[in-house]
Amino acid sequence: MNKLNSLRKVREVEITPDQLIAFESKVKETYEAGEIKGVIHLAGNNENILIQLFSYIDKEDWVFSAWRNHYHAILHGIPEDILFQSIKDGKSMGTNSINPLFYSSSIVGGIIPIALGVAKALKLKNSTKKVWCFIGDMTMETGVFWEAYKYAKNFDLNLQFVIEDNNISVHTPTELAWGKKMEIPSDVIYYNYEMKYPHHGTGKWVNF
Amino acid sequence: MGKFLKKLNMKYKEEIIRAMDWLGSKPDTIFTGQAIGVSGHAISGTVTNINKEKRLELPVFEEVQLGMAIGMALEGFVPITCYPRFDFFILSLNQLVNHLDKIREMSNNLMKPKVIIRVSIGSLLPFSAGPQHTQNHSEAIKLMLTDVDVIVLNEASDVFPAFQKAYERNDGKSTLVIEYNDYYTLK
Repeated sequence: MNKLNSLRKVREVEITPDQLIAFESKVKETYEAGEIKGVIHLAGNNENILIQLFSYIDKEDWVFSAWRNHYHAILHGIPEDILFQSIKDGKSMGTNSINPLFYSSSIVGGIIPIALGVAKALKLKNSTKKVWCFIGDMTMETGVFWEAYKYAKNFDLNLQFVIEDNNISVHTPTELAWGKKMEIPSDVIYYNYEMKYPHHGTGKWVNF
Repeated sequence: MGKFLKKLNMKYKEEIIRAMDWLGSKPDTIFTGQAIGVSGHAISGTVTNINKEKRLELPVFEEVQLGMAIGMALEGFVPITCYPRFDFFILSLNQLVNHLDKIREMSNNLMKPKVIIRVSIGSLLPFSAGPQHTQNHSEAIKLMLTDVDVIVLNEASDVFPAFQKAYERNDGKSTLVIEYNDYYTLK
């Protein structure tokens, strides 16, 4: 998180860790009651770090996330009731909004080129808006990350990558599968945490 | 429009150049791809009239190229992103099938990036460019897509209306325009 030292806080986040935990607990209970007709990926154990991080993210900025996106969505300003209904409608893996600007995808690395394009467009428009792209540690190892990272860096785009390292991709440990992990570039924000929930679902088999 | 009027008996490539000139006159368009800012292949020769500032030369990273176009479109641009051969374009299928084609459904029709994709089928004449430079997957691509509109340019008369529709459409769809490199000289 050294990179944060070079960034400027832009707001106070009023959402508490307990509020985030309570939201995911509610999703968990609803899922286990068979009332969510779709796949869910619950977040946990990273509430404090995310609350700190989002104090650097302006409400006008773009945020890109992946399948485990509930915390990012709430912290960027998507109302909990709207998000919860979307999850109930089976759209947990693809939370999207134009106000606030938020795009998520359930394809590994799929958001990265799109985030890059948004950042390029903002630069062409002389906009001061920033693009934040949250990805996992396995995604950081992919070619598409390194292509986009290199392009953004070389053309000085306002694209900030955040690596959320849980050292696992579904059930595959990143370090085991790759032999070792790449070194994290100094201009990329990085934190690690342990998964609270399984990759998807809640650990209980649910019959719909 | 007068500047871009159709002249009598315009050929396939002339029509493509006319369409590109017309698109290039729009304030929100931007042309992207390899050999778009510089020379290099057949498509390059169809965009040379366009202001250089509107032509963004990109590295060879086909998937990123299409994802970038989606992102730029989300910020209000109408990108015309160009792939000189179908063989190369299939490297971008993740962004085409999983993102551009699904983004309206995923966002409850809130996100409607308008992207125009130009793909050329490699030439067989005067000699074949070989199995990795001449593939035509037009029919397969149509079967894979549910939202992106696919238009194949078979005749010179197809060209301008296809690009005009792609730019002017307000149904929230993007357009994949497929052209035949051989027709640049044959038709």
